[in-house]
Amino acid sequence: MTNIFEGKNVIVQGITGAHGGFQARAMLNAGTNVIAGTTPGKAGQKVATATVYDTIADIQKYHRVDISVVFVPARFAKGAILEAINAEVPLIVCITEGIPVHDILTINERLKASKSTLLGPNSPGALLPGVNKLGIIPANMSLKGKTAIVSRSGTLTYETMAGLTEKGIGQKYVIGIGGDVIHGMGYKECLELFQSDTEVDQIVLIGEIGGQDEIEAAAYIKQYVTKPVFAYIAGHHAPAGVQLGHAGAILGSDQESAANKTKILSKAGAKTAKSIVDLINLVVGS
Amino acid sequence: MKLLEYEAKNVLAESRIPIPRGSLVTDPAKLTLPVVLKSQVPTGGRGKAGGILVIDSSDQLQPAIDTLLDLDIKGFTPQNILAEEKLSIKSEFYLSILVDRQSAGIQLIAHKDGGVEVEDNTDFKTWAINEHTSEVLGQSLAEYYELPSQTFFLQDLVENLKTCLVKNDATMIEINPLILTADDSLIAGDCKMTLDDAAAFRHEWNFEEKIVEANFVTIDPNGNTATIANGAGLAMATVDAAYEAGLTPANFLDIGGGANEETLLKAFNRIVEYPNLQAIIINIFAGITRADEVANAIVSAKKHITNLPPLFIRLAGTNYEAAAKILTKEHIVIMPNLAACLTAAKEVIHD
Repeated sequence: MTNIFEGKNVIVQGITGAHGGFQARAMLNAGTNVIAGTTPGKAGQKVATATVYDTIADIQKYHRVDISVVFVPARFAKGAILEAINAEVPLIVCITEGIPVHDILTINERLKASKSTLLGPNSPGALLPGVNKLGIIPANMSLKGKTAIVSRSGTLTYETMAGLTEKGIGQKYVIGIGGDVIHGMGYKECLELFQSDTEVDQIVLIGEIGGQDEIEAAAYIKQYVTKPVFAYIAGHHAPAGVQLGHAGAILGSDQESAANKTKILSKAGAKTAKSIVDLINLVVGS
Repeated sequence: MKLLEYEAKNVLAESRIPIPRGSLVTDPAKLTLPVVLKSQVPTGGRGKAGGILVIDSSDQLQPAIDTLLDLDIKGFTPQNILAEEKLSIKSEFYLSILVDRQSAGIQLIAHKDGGVEVEDNTDFKTWAINEHTSEVLGQSLAEYYELPSQTFFLQDLVENLKTCLVKNDATMIEINPLILTADDSLIAGDCKMTLDDAAAFRHEWNFEEKIVEANFVTIDPNGNTATIANGAGLAMATVDAAYEAGLTPANFLDIGGGANEETLLKAFNRIVEYPNLQAIIINIFAGITRADEVANAIVSAKKHITNLPPLFIRLAGTNYEAAAKILTKEHIVIMPNLAACLTAAKEVIHD
């Protein structure tokens, strides 16, 4: 199986926007092969070395497209993602936050019968140091290596990556699955990738209060993952029933608490930390 | 956004779902007795708190209205009171439709026994909406509720609820109780509805404002350390790490992606209200946010807020170099990491 995160030809949807343009340049600076981008009505413009087209279909007349990174504003994001699905882009990375949940439900239905995989929305994207920067994870804080990081939170992903880099522990994958209630790829799909990739020798999983995703991840770890897993669940001191920041982070039942998720991950064989500072020490000390 | 009962019922009615006859109280003299008066507060447990009164005689009306307007229910007093016809109730059921996180789809949830005690039950019936037609779902509901004569009505109800949920960008509609009246009509006795704020751009919503602040949450008003971070995960992690380091965090604050000087200054002004505050931890890992804008806000806060306790700043990511220049010029120190911030903060804290 070819690894979709290592696809060569990358495009940016919404490349002429403020975020899209800034981040497309950052991706190019990190060595990612951003061949082109789209913004309807702006065909022919350039963003650094990338040519702007109206549609993905127009790009595909000249190039194979392996990965699309979506920066299109929330109100137009559904259309943009559906366009990428129609164009059979293997990996779609959606950075945009604030997409209506019913739009994501529609997108998920279309994904089921498609050749595409979606990472996000409301995701910082994925960074494979030295290979691909697909989104907004700062490449200058990373180091090429053999650790794989997966997280629901953008900034917590950076924090962990930078903490490991500082201690000389490099990364093969740094992936943010996004903070929304409904999203594309989950922990399970990432764990599957990390377990099967022989260049990964350890896994760091970062979770949060709310939902059942980490509990499902624990079940998967117990059954399929033989590599060492280090885990931290944010929100040990979160008040119940209060939404903390993004939509997904709300403590519903006790089962969704940081304490319970930590316990279940620990039972599944993961080494667990009570704070992000401890997590880095735990990985360094192993 | 959570709707009040009368707002939610208006939305139901637009989708042809039956609701009791009623209106907001404007002129008590025009009400037809008997009448049910219901406090319109954005919280549950209203019935148990005395927020619903049944009135039979006209001399009780004004005192009842005054009582309801003054009644505090879980920190809320109503702006409005809903007056509804008194229904003769044969039985009560529970029905809701929602966007389910785990299955990443829409679910229909029912229980035979509706009413205030329904949450104590664990044996709810659930159906995935996209796996069945409304005809099948309505029939299943009729069988489950043991209301075979209502099959056609329930098929319509399911279809209308589904349309109502999607058309209005609602994430949850709960009808509890769904009332079977003495003359065998099914009618929505109460309704809770949550709309997806992210979809506001494609609606002309005009509902009572309910202040919900997801990004600033007080954890311990007497805490000695305030936290400022960007991103929900990092903000939670900063609170966790502060606890583990032996500090008592007063708050959770996620300044969000793309935070600017103005939003940050507002946050500083709220934070300095905590009475026992001795340190502020700032933990920013800029992605979409740009570190230089954060640096400018810190400089500005230092200038404009007189009683600002010591700041322990960790700043990294996008535009870090520019930020470091701005802060260094003002002799403000940036710590290399969160652990260093916590250790330094610990040293200035005294009981």
